[in-house]
Amino acid sequence: MPLLFSVLEFGSALERWLAQDAATVQAARYAGEVGGDTPELRRFVDDELRAAGINPDRVSVDVAPSRVAWREPVRVSLSSAYPMSIPFLFSTTVPLRSSAISRGEVNR
Amino acid sequence: MVLTLVLAPLLLVALAGVLQLGALRVAAARVRAAADLATLVAVNDQDDAELATSGTLRLSADAGDVAREYFARELELSAILLDGAAVDIAAAADVAVYPSAPAYDTRSGVRYDRPTVRIAADVPVRTPVFGALVLRPVTTIHVLSVSSPR
Repeated sequence: MPLLFSVLEFGSALERWLAQDAATVQAARYAGEVGGDTPELRRFVDDELRAAGINPDRVSVDVAPSRVAWREPVRVSLSSAYPMSIPFLFSTTVPLRSSAISRGEVNR
Repeated sequence: MVLTLVLAPLLLVALAGVLQLGALRVAAARVRAAADLATLVAVNDQDDAELATSGTLRLSADAGDVAREYFARELELSAILLDGAAVDIAAAADVAVYPSAPAYDTRSGVRYDRPTVRIAADVPVRTPVFGALVLRPVTTIHVLSVSSPR
């Protein structure tokens, strides 16, 4: 029984990781477009996460540098903790981290 | 009792396989995204002088180098999944730039109607659980990404 639940739980965690990765890639692309960490980017990330079925309040977002110049790389990182519970074995949280890099497109 | 003893190893192998396949799927998605972002960044870097004078979208002279550099940067973020250095994998990638259209891809014969940057790469990914199950410990992901400005 625990092994069967493990298959389901780990499968679900991997699916969530894939969704978070996809949102991160889109966010990096958008961060390049808007020139870094802006309110528009934060709203965009929230929308992308919600669309993927992830609660944005439980995901931390880091954009480095926060203000990017033209043709400079900008990195967006998302991290969250996925709660996992295997009956009769253990309960824990699995850290899920995603990062992507794009390039600044705003000529200031 | 006997049923449990028989089924437990099978389920353990199934669980290990699920985890490895899942990790491989994550790796494949990341590699694909790396190539996509690299070609996108490269085609977004327009020849500004040409754009200002004629309004024509033309790739920057260093588009190929930019694509390769960003492919390496993106792969570096998933270095733990790779069986090799990100820089080496990017260096071995087939990056092609077609600055004028129409053009035909020398690799696939596909016609491009706009200036295009294309990356084709073989990315080796670690699959240690497959290796333990007498399969391949390294799986190669073939990726092809094509971007054009609009």
